[in-house]
Amino acid sequence: MTVESNQLHDALHVPRGKDGRAPDPLRVGGWMPMREYREDEAVDFVIVGTGAGGGTLACKLAEAGFSVIGMDAGAWWRPLEEFASDETHQDKLFWTDERICDGDNPLKLGSNNSGKSVGGSTVHFAMVSLRFRPEWFKCRTLLGYGADWPLDWREMWRYYGEVEQALKIAGPVTYPWGPKRPRYPYRAHEINAAGWVLAQACEAMGIAWTETPLATISAPRGRAHPCVYRGFCVTGCATNAKQSALVTWIPRAVTAGAEIRDLAMVGRIEVNDAGLATGVHYQREGQWRFQRARNVVVAGYAIETPRLLLNSATDRYPDGLANSSGLVGRNLMAQTNQGVYGVFDDEIRWYKGPPSLTLTEHWNYTDTGKDFFGGYAFMAQGPLPQAWVSTQAGNRGLWGEALLREMQQYNHQAGFKIVGETLPQERNRVTLADEKDQYGLPVARVTYSLCDNDKALVKHSIDFMSRGLDAIGARDIWAEEDDTCHLNGTARMGDDPATSVVNADCRSWDIRNLWICDGSVFPTVGGVNPSLTIQAIACRTGDRIRQLAALGEL
Amino acid sequence: MRTNDGLIAATLGALAVVAGAAAITRKSAFGSAVGRRHQPTVIAARRLNRASGLIAASTLLDSGIEHYRGAFHNRAMIAPLVVSALTLAVSAHGTRDARPVAHRLRDSVYAGAALTGLIGTGFHLYNIGKRPGRFSWKNYSWQNLFYASPILAPSAVALAGLLGYYSERLRESRSTGAPRVFGLPAGRALAALTAAGLVATAGEAGLLHFRGAYHDPFMYVPVTVPPIAAALLAETAASRPRKPRRLARWWLRLTTLIGFVGAGFHIFGVHREMGGWRNWRQNVLNGPPIPAPSSFSGLALAGLAALGLIEEHPHA
Repeated sequence: MTVESNQLHDALHVPRGKDGRAPDPLRVGGWMPMREYREDEAVDFVIVGTGAGGGTLACKLAEAGFSVIGMDAGAWWRPLEEFASDETHQDKLFWTDERICDGDNPLKLGSNNSGKSVGGSTVHFAMVSLRFRPEWFKCRTLLGYGADWPLDWREMWRYYGEVEQALKIAGPVTYPWGPKRPRYPYRAHEINAAGWVLAQACEAMGIAWTETPLATISAPRGRAHPCVYRGFCVTGCATNAKQSALVTWIPRAVTAGAEIRDLAMVGRIEVNDAGLATGVHYQREGQWRFQRARNVVVAGYAIETPRLLLNSATDRYPDGLANSSGLVGRNLMAQTNQGVYGVFDDEIRWYKGPPSLTLTEHWNYTDTGKDFFGGYAFMAQGPLPQAWVSTQAGNRGLWGEALLREMQQYNHQAGFKIVGETLPQERNRVTLADEKDQYGLPVARVTYSLCDNDKALVKHSIDFMSRGLDAIGARDIWAEEDDTCHLNGTARMGDDPATSVVNADCRSWDIRNLWICDGSVFPTVGGVNPSLTIQAIACRTGDRIRQLAALGEL
Repeated sequence: MRTNDGLIAATLGALAVVAGAAAITRKSAFGSAVGRRHQPTVIAARRLNRASGLIAASTLLDSGIEHYRGAFHNRAMIAPLVVSALTLAVSAHGTRDARPVAHRLRDSVYAGAALTGLIGTGFHLYNIGKRPGRFSWKNYSWQNLFYASPILAPSAVALAGLLGYYSERLRESRSTGAPRVFGLPAGRALAALTAAGLVATAGEAGLLHFRGAYHDPFMYVPVTVPPIAAALLAETAASRPRKPRRLARWWLRLTTLIGFVGAGFHIFGVHREMGGWRNWRQNVLNGPPIPAPSSFSGLALAGLAALGLIEEHPHA
């Protein structure tokens, strides 16, 4: 038994991307050849992080012919043999390093909003792959809140299409909201009972709903099998039906000549006297090492990205790299994730299949009947038993007999959760604490408070979803009022160096060979899951870097 | 549960063996009858028995697998198994029978199959009607088309019955000139019926292959080859041919072939599900339906019978 569980943890202790080979996640015990670069030889790009932003960009740049190294602090898993149908065991996919959380609404970090493996949090994301509402790219001008993006929605529409093809998104035949989009590459999955509950509630409330576009395949694709509706999606898909960066962008990147170093924690970016980045200091196998690079891309997500930039401060850049605007670490936006649940006479068994098979974006695309800025989507839910018991015991505060009674109704429960937009506020930020982590690096302090607009949005959503559940005969309706999900912001993109950290190409204003490519660059978050947008931005950045190189402007 | 599974699997296996044996005996009996040029209606009728038997075999296995998947939760779900097994049996009998008279038992089994197909369609519509969205043309009607009871599937039983019933009428047609059935020229009417069957079956394949996103380019074959066969048959039915329909004949032979090759592709498709053939107990149910494509072969055989009649009697 101990031997087995040690094997399941092997990847956490022994680097696998070494000696000219890399794990092949699509074959049991599989390996594929991988190019290796010398540390004293400057590669074109070193990318810190291999998730939705870094993994995608590594693939795009390698395929464009650049020499690329991707570094990830996490392990390189083979899902077919190392992902257990066990919620606790799968905590190994989360970033649970020490952090300090404060503010009026301190964030709970370490599960749904974190990821520490090659492929980042896409290894355990819920696969919901939504496009932004076009107006959100100009929400200051058109909708009167937040900040405008320096990107044009029509250009983003093309890149969304590229990502949807790359991940073979399974989505509805026609999408009810927004401008015309191409047909999703694969057809939508069969809706489970929890998904039909959302459909019926929306019908009762007179609003549109649809099948959720999901990054899990509904037909075979290469060596990946179609989804078997195992239901352990957010604890890591063991069948490779989930089109995570681990099984899509990363193998493509390696095939195209990129090197990925797993269990490689980057602690500091080195900057020379000319004010240019020269490489990264990283820890691997217990040693601090240095990799030279002509360009450095930071793709560590909304907490680790500012942490690395701030921790790389020098005499020349005392406030951290790329921080002349003072905005590195600021405008952190954690999307709200409130839920409403009820009990039904019919058996629901909401653990079956992907958790969010249906959704509505009604309140993303409707601007009337709201007393707040921004929007939210809400989706069907399918928490696994342990996640559900921690919701009941934690957020709801049930214990003992009451908790037992509630858990016995598990198979009859259903409900919805929002992905709610929060406004950018400079007071919500990531800074460095005095405390040090296991690598000897200062830990991140994450300060978070909701504003009145965020609270009004949450109130509206809980009220609307509760009425929806009530309208279709749910009993014992209750609201989970304190939860958040995706993190964005902290290194926003913009047109003006004084009010943004990077430009539309994700290139930092201050250091021309330092780039940031992940959810940190979002000026606003919208009311949809960010992964598709992060990947679309990474695809665009890859194309732009290729163009700039051709023009000699790199 | 295991015993039950084993029992069903054994039954299906036994039925498959019966079907195979029937096919072999059909072939030998047919070979000895070809020479009897004075009875072209009987030759065509026996060819139709063979076509009907092949469709019945396909339906037997397909409804067996799909209704087993649905746990026979409605007792009526056993009906297509019983009826198509009987249709298969009487078709085997018909292919060996060279007498120019209809057979009462065959006749009633075929009529019963046609009726069962019709009623089955009603049951499948009822199933969709129970689901959210029902027959709405909104987005989620696709859910019902993809994942509810397939609307067109029961009509395969109906087609097997109809073709068989037609073969009995053909057998007993007494006219000295061009044979007529139900007052219509027999060859042309049969060609039209077969063309309609091919179009409907291609429609079903098209829908379900769309559901599979045509992830393999070969998935376009059943939505291109059979409709062309149907068009050639329809053209034959509508015109007064003077010369042999060489293209139609070869195209129908190709359609017969793709029905069997399609089953091979579906066997490969099962292997691409999680666990492949090692996990056959799940994947035969969840993967592409192996018996389904052979309906095309059955229909193409019926089309060839129609061509034979028309070439023998240009006014048939």
